[in-house]
Amino acid sequence: MKLYISEGNPHCLKVLAAVEQTLVQCDVQCVIHEERGGPFLSRPALPALLLPSGHHLFSSNAICQYLFETSGQKPHTLINQWLEWETTELQPALLQALHMAVLQGKATEASKILQRPLSYLDQCLSKGTTPYLTAETVSVVDVVLWGALHPFLSDSSPALGEWKSVQAWFERLAGEKACQAAAQRVLPGKSLEALKSFMQRQPAPHSSQRRGAESCNSTP
Amino acid sequence: MALKELSSLEKFLGLKKHNKYSTQGDNKVPVLQSNNGPVVGLLTVCSHLVNEAKRPELLGSSTEHRAMVHQWLEYRVTKVDGCGREEVKTVLKDLNLYLQDKVYLTGNCFTLADALMYYGLHPLVVDLAVHEKEQYMNVTRWFDHLQHYPGLRHHLAPVVVLRNRVYTSGHH
Repeated sequence: MKLYISEGNPHCLKVLAAVEQTLVQCDVQCVIHEERGGPFLSRPALPALLLPSGHHLFSSNAICQYLFETSGQKPHTLINQWLEWETTELQPALLQALHMAVLQGKATEASKILQRPLSYLDQCLSKGTTPYLTAETVSVVDVVLWGALHPFLSDSSPALGEWKSVQAWFERLAGEKACQAAAQRVLPGKSLEALKSFMQRQPAPHSSQRRGAESCNSTP
Repeated sequence: MALKELSSLEKFLGLKKHNKYSTQGDNKVPVLQSNNGPVVGLLTVCSHLVNEAKRPELLGSSTEHRAMVHQWLEYRVTKVDGCGREEVKTVLKDLNLYLQDKVYLTGNCFTLADALMYYGLHPLVVDLAVHEKEQYMNVTRWFDHLQHYPGLRHHLAPVVVLRNRVYTSGHH
């Protein structure tokens, strides 16, 4: 099994942390941004996991889920629900926020875009009875959400003051060996700066497509 | 759209009890009130229905297969839903190349990913001109196969496909 990742790509954080956390045997190869991806995709996507059967996985969440299930963690409704939320609600907002923060230097506006998803996450964490999102121990959901939020939160942790539960949860994960190792390899140093070349290759986010993300955006 | 799709899926799965759904947020995310609390999100609700119908194989029959189903379900809601004119072409081109040597999205058996991709692609395929259907012939062949899959089509209009051309030009 081969996992292709590239430095400075935020989606690679999750999968690398998942490999470290689950200890699934997997040959990790670092490649240049657009060198590889699913063999049929017009836009090469990283990370990509070449499965034992020869099929490719090009979705970072599917890769993480695969690694956790291989190590014995069965998927269930709550896990599915968080992963879907990450993909459909958090990612569009994050893409827009990172675009602003990394390419336009508008960090304050960027954190406004993330207010709604962060406040939702905070509510869920404060209502929950476990230290992690779905259980007493780290699940695929924690790794995926940590990886998604790391570039932002590790750079602007003061902004987290408002979200006490998110802050506590994020620091708990940031203390995990697996997360530290992944961050060290994919986004060494200042996270947001390390993302610059990746963000320059992304198409500009169009807010009309995701009305949810747009309505969080307070700039006219 | 999502709610019609859920009702068609319920019928396809042969679920006797028809659920009531609500939506939340600006994106009109479907919500199902289950015995264990709310189930939120199109994919999550669909997976829940599949489990209720005791058809776990539709979510994949092995860890690897489940990951592929997951990936294509995600592709449906992130890439196909709400895609603009230009992106439609990329989606169809990519899927066309991918489906070249496949009967179903994840290989040789039908899964939930095929059902939801069929529902999601319907509005795009309806708008294709005849020559475009030929251009994306693997997608068209897969689509036609799916619209004839027993019990799947329900709320959707059948799309006319000139079968002989799509099928014969598929052979080399």
